[in-house]
Amino acid sequence: MAEFDCEETKALVHEYLHNELLPDQQKDITTHLALCDSCEEEYDLEVYLNQVIQRSCDEEPPKKLAEKVLARIKDIQSH
Amino acid sequence: MVSTSFCEEAQLVDSEAMASSKNTDSELKIRDFEQQALPLMPQLYGAALRWTRNPSDAEDLVQEAMAKAFVAWGQYQQGTNLKAWLYRIMTNTHINKYNKQQKDPSRGGLDDLEDWQLGDAESITATTTRSAELEALDQLPADIIRNSLMAIPEEFRMVVYYAVVDGLPYSEIAEIMGTPVGTVMSRLHRGKKLLRTLLAEYAIEQGYLSPAKAAQKTEQK
Repeated sequence: MAEFDCEETKALVHEYLHNELLPDQQKDITTHLALCDSCEEEYDLEVYLNQVIQRSCDEEPPKKLAEKVLARIKDIQSH
Repeated sequence: MVSTSFCEEAQLVDSEAMASSKNTDSELKIRDFEQQALPLMPQLYGAALRWTRNPSDAEDLVQEAMAKAFVAWGQYQQGTNLKAWLYRIMTNTHINKYNKQQKDPSRGGLDDLEDWQLGDAESITATTTRSAELEALDQLPADIIRNSLMAIPEEFRMVVYYAVVDGLPYSEIAEIMGTPVGTVMSRLHRGKKLLRTLLAEYAIEQGYLSPAKAAQKTEQK
């Protein structure tokens, strides 16, 4: 059965989402989330926030940057 | 003596061979670097944008970090985590270049601050339901998310970025940032909390999120 209460479960949200817990802890929290709407909502929100952050940080580097880097290292090598 | 002259001769041949292969060696080094390190440049640029908060400084930071990595290329151990190695060089480059003027002892360590000093996400989000917050998040434009990330302190911002966008494990983030794993953990918690507070504040301000209505909804349940 779930070893974690709501407070502990909420405190470990990021470790759970980033797979930083021991397998037993991970399993206990999964069990707790299945039984607790309040914790599940909190976790869903953090998952969604992570997705939103990922989507927002997708800027491509300028096309010329690779060329500039290459030119610079060739310059270093020739000196 | 025979052995000495043999040695001298060998050295002479050696140095001639070295001179003729010098160009090939340097071409090889460039090709190696180009094939291995350069493909990671877009990821470095993404992190550089988070460090510098503007595209032109991010370009400079990437170029500088790549130049340093090239000079130190001989120290990179093939088969080890190249991305983490490059990120670490970029962290040091940024800290040396941009934070010199900030080496003010009064600045103090953010990690020593208490939670209440960082603002309390719960006090703002406690009046809203999670589903209302989620709905509001869905409506926020990407540049608001990016700006809010830029608004949180660098130490928190980078850990959030590495964990969430890059999906790096805590141990790797610790290595890149030069901090213990416990610090990574607390920075991620605090960074996410700060970000949620900023986004909730913005959402309330812009009318995406209404604390009063959300609270009513909960009562009616």
